[in-house]
Amino acid sequence: MNSVQDLIMYLNRYWAGQGCYLAPSYDLEVGAGTMTPDTFFRVLDQRPWRVGYVQPSRRPADGRYGENPNRVQKHHQYQVIMKPSPDNIQELYLKSLTGMGIDLREHDLRFDEDNWEAPTIGAWGVGWQVLLDGLEITQFTYFQQAGGIETFPVPVEITYGLERLEMFLEGKDDIYDLQWSADVTYRDLHLREEKEFSEYNFNQANVKGLQKSFAIQTREAQSLIDRDLLLPAYDACLKCSHLFNLLDSRGAISVTERVKMIAQIRDLVIQVARNYVAGEESS
Amino acid sequence: MEFVLEILTEEMPPGHVAEGLSQLEAGLASELKSNNLVNARGESGKIHTYGSCRRLIVHCELAARQQDREELVTGPPRGAAYTPEGEPTQAALGFARSRGVDAAALEVVRTDRGEYVAIRKVVEGKPAREILARILPGLISRLSFPKMMKWGERNFRFSRPIKNIFCLCDGKVLPFETAGIRSTGYTFGHPIFAPRRIKAGSFREYRDELRRNKVIIDQNARKSRIEKQMQKKLEPFGAACYPDEQLLKKLSMDVEYPYVILGTFPDSYLKLPLEVLSTAMKKGQNLFSVVKGRKQMPMFMGVADACDDSRSLVRKGNERVLKARLEDARFFWEQDIQVSLKKRAAELSRVIFQEKLGTYEDKSERLRKIAAYLAGRLEAREEKKWVMEAAGLCKVDLVTEMVREFPSLQGVAGGLYARKEGLPSSVWKAVYEHYQPVTLEDASPSSLTGAILSVSDKLDSVVGSLGLGVEVSGSRDPFGLRRNAQGACTVILQKKLSFSFPRLLDKVISVYEDKLSVPREDLKAVCLEFFRGRMQYIFERQGFRYDLVNAVLDPGLGNLYHAYLRVKALDGFKDSPHFEPMILIAKRVNNILKEQPAYKVNSDLLIEKEERELHTSFEIIRANVQPLIASGDFAKAQRIVFRIRSTTNSFFDNVLVMDKDVKLRRNRLALLQAVSRLLDQIADYSQIVVQG
Repeated sequence: MNSVQDLIMYLNRYWAGQGCYLAPSYDLEVGAGTMTPDTFFRVLDQRPWRVGYVQPSRRPADGRYGENPNRVQKHHQYQVIMKPSPDNIQELYLKSLTGMGIDLREHDLRFDEDNWEAPTIGAWGVGWQVLLDGLEITQFTYFQQAGGIETFPVPVEITYGLERLEMFLEGKDDIYDLQWSADVTYRDLHLREEKEFSEYNFNQANVKGLQKSFAIQTREAQSLIDRDLLLPAYDACLKCSHLFNLLDSRGAISVTERVKMIAQIRDLVIQVARNYVAGEESS
Repeated sequence: MEFVLEILTEEMPPGHVAEGLSQLEAGLASELKSNNLVNARGESGKIHTYGSCRRLIVHCELAARQQDREELVTGPPRGAAYTPEGEPTQAALGFARSRGVDAAALEVVRTDRGEYVAIRKVVEGKPAREILARILPGLISRLSFPKMMKWGERNFRFSRPIKNIFCLCDGKVLPFETAGIRSTGYTFGHPIFAPRRIKAGSFREYRDELRRNKVIIDQNARKSRIEKQMQKKLEPFGAACYPDEQLLKKLSMDVEYPYVILGTFPDSYLKLPLEVLSTAMKKGQNLFSVVKGRKQMPMFMGVADACDDSRSLVRKGNERVLKARLEDARFFWEQDIQVSLKKRAAELSRVIFQEKLGTYEDKSERLRKIAAYLAGRLEAREEKKWVMEAAGLCKVDLVTEMVREFPSLQGVAGGLYARKEGLPSSVWKAVYEHYQPVTLEDASPSSLTGAILSVSDKLDSVVGSLGLGVEVSGSRDPFGLRRNAQGACTVILQKKLSFSFPRLLDKVISVYEDKLSVPREDLKAVCLEFFRGRMQYIFERQGFRYDLVNAVLDPGLGNLYHAYLRVKALDGFKDSPHFEPMILIAKRVNNILKEQPAYKVNSDLLIEKEERELHTSFEIIRANVQPLIASGDFAKAQRIVFRIRSTTNSFFDNVLVMDKDVKLRRNRLALLQAVSRLLDQIADYSQIVVQG
């Protein structure tokens, strides 16, 4: 693996070989691959499901103006969902690593307890952060609940941090030194983006405008739920979530407001999940 | 006969392994006992447990079968079983036939309902294999863990997914099924170094084969291997690993084949405070600090699940990750010291302490008042000013970058910043130490200002929550009130802080003004009851007998440090020959006073000689012990109080308390009440159990 795109192509091939459908990245701002419809809706029902995809993930408050070699406000995840979780999922995962050219016998690979929780989408799971020589390269989770609903059969989610993993593979200490392809570096693609978005996230985003948009999107989500248009309603929830993150990085949310806004989003998402499951059961 | 069970799973948290092993051991022991699978002496063999994050292992020696047991089967009553001549009747013959024995084998037994004929039958014990196969599925599925999960399509919960169950009984596979998994006669080696199937026909073979396949099953063996390797690696530097038993225990469960790595980081990071360095190493990366004497070395130690690190990839990888973390920590440190704590304090108005109890700014303001009051009560004139300053600053680190990144540094980080700003040691130490002690084993603050602030902070939290009607019961303690209350008590006892606890409660309740919903007097009672429970827990953990503890706590919480001195005085005297007579008298006094309203002594009404003598000796003793009680010398006070025995005895022998004359009766009761009140200042002796 000499570049991020080699790694992506490898993971696509590998997980397609395990029966995964390769989804395109979702076209809205999200904080993690877990939040896109290809995961969120598909873990709720009882049908088997296997999917793999790259998802750009935005965390506005993690911006460092392009000056920190590890932290960025937008990174890329490779997300895999297997439902029901296969009995040999750990072996499949280990094979995916050795296939990248990592000889695990020369390293220290650890599954360290880390129980994932996402309050805004009413989801939690049990699992690990996978550490390779102390570096967190993957989040590995057996979903127990999503949208406030118990997930059964149980899906397993594997989320690779692509930049972290590629830094490990290329032996680089600075994210901007990574090769995206043979000719294009991460610096070429993302340094300017990190600088400008950090400035936007921390100093320029229009707080009043964001607050207004948040109010509009929550109303939109509710009215769409009422008309049983659950996929568009969920998109509105995702927009709320990103608006919330932006307001947060602007330092414009007091502690009480934070609790209230999270509850608001969560409440909408739970309605979407309930109605979706109820619809699936009656059809 | 040998029994071996191994449950192979995906990686469990260390706490789950310990929990699983202890439940397996206790569960198996009780099943063996209730199923009579014991040896001739009526004992079952010692159960050994081993484990790692991937395995729960049980090994023991068992009887091959249950012991045979005799059973008595009763038939018809004696009267119906024999004719007057002693011949068996049809009923008796029929009973014998139905059980397949000769009538001669019948005997007569006595029961609660009269005499009956009966036969004795020997029930043959069942083979252990049969019984184990029946009990194991339930035993495994009943294991419970702090957090449980489902996986795949199984309707079954466990700590982590089960991969295999290996079970051997008398050298052969013991077949059973649980969670849809059939037990086998094989297990698997280390998932990376020896991911192969391993067969075994005995525990020894199982253990040795796994050892060859890079799994050391014994957690203690892994732990000492880690310690030995650490020592060996550090010897050339004359350095030592900074001890962290908790981390060591976690790591010896986390790996099956430990290999210790020694890495370095650039000297320039040594400018960061020790506490920040060690937290950055420990949290998330599980690394140990290395020290030489009291000096931090630019080194760390880690434990890998590996055979070796011949190409140093593990070491270099960890160094790279640590360097990035230390770089972050330095960035936070340098950012944070740009703004003084005092200036930053304004930001606390944006941080909620508890929804209805206001912000951390409100809390800081309350802490200033409580700490000032407590410093006053303790006559800590010099410290008062410093502790008030510290109270205003102690929560400010909650809004620093450092604590946001490493929450476990709260308090410590604030203290370090205060020291960096050049604040006096009484101030920065108070901030630094005000969360201590976190557990009962932790040390209390070393400074008096730290102790005062620690007690104030914990009381503010406990009173606030109880004042909103929060209830603590069993496993429900959402705000950690027990831990906080215990912490406050521990500091008071260890630092010998002598003051009236109920009056401190009054103060804390009053600084909350109208924020609390529970009425003042009710709240005080609830708090006193709650703290009484904590004091009892602490005293009993210290090994004091429960009845001595009750004798000290039942008369009511006053000065907590004195409560400790009192229970110590009782404990020191419990083997004295004078102890029991004193208890008996106290019991007699209390019995007669039961459900009597309080009366006042009128010395003019003391007409009998013995009551006058009791009154006189009471007054002398009281005058003598009051100063001793005030100064906390309870051992001496107790010795003097015991002198009231003889006059009390002759009083009881010669004076009728329940006299017909109401005035005399009440006066005598009043006298006994005064005696009882005096005793209560040391202990309610009537609570103490007389050792038979």
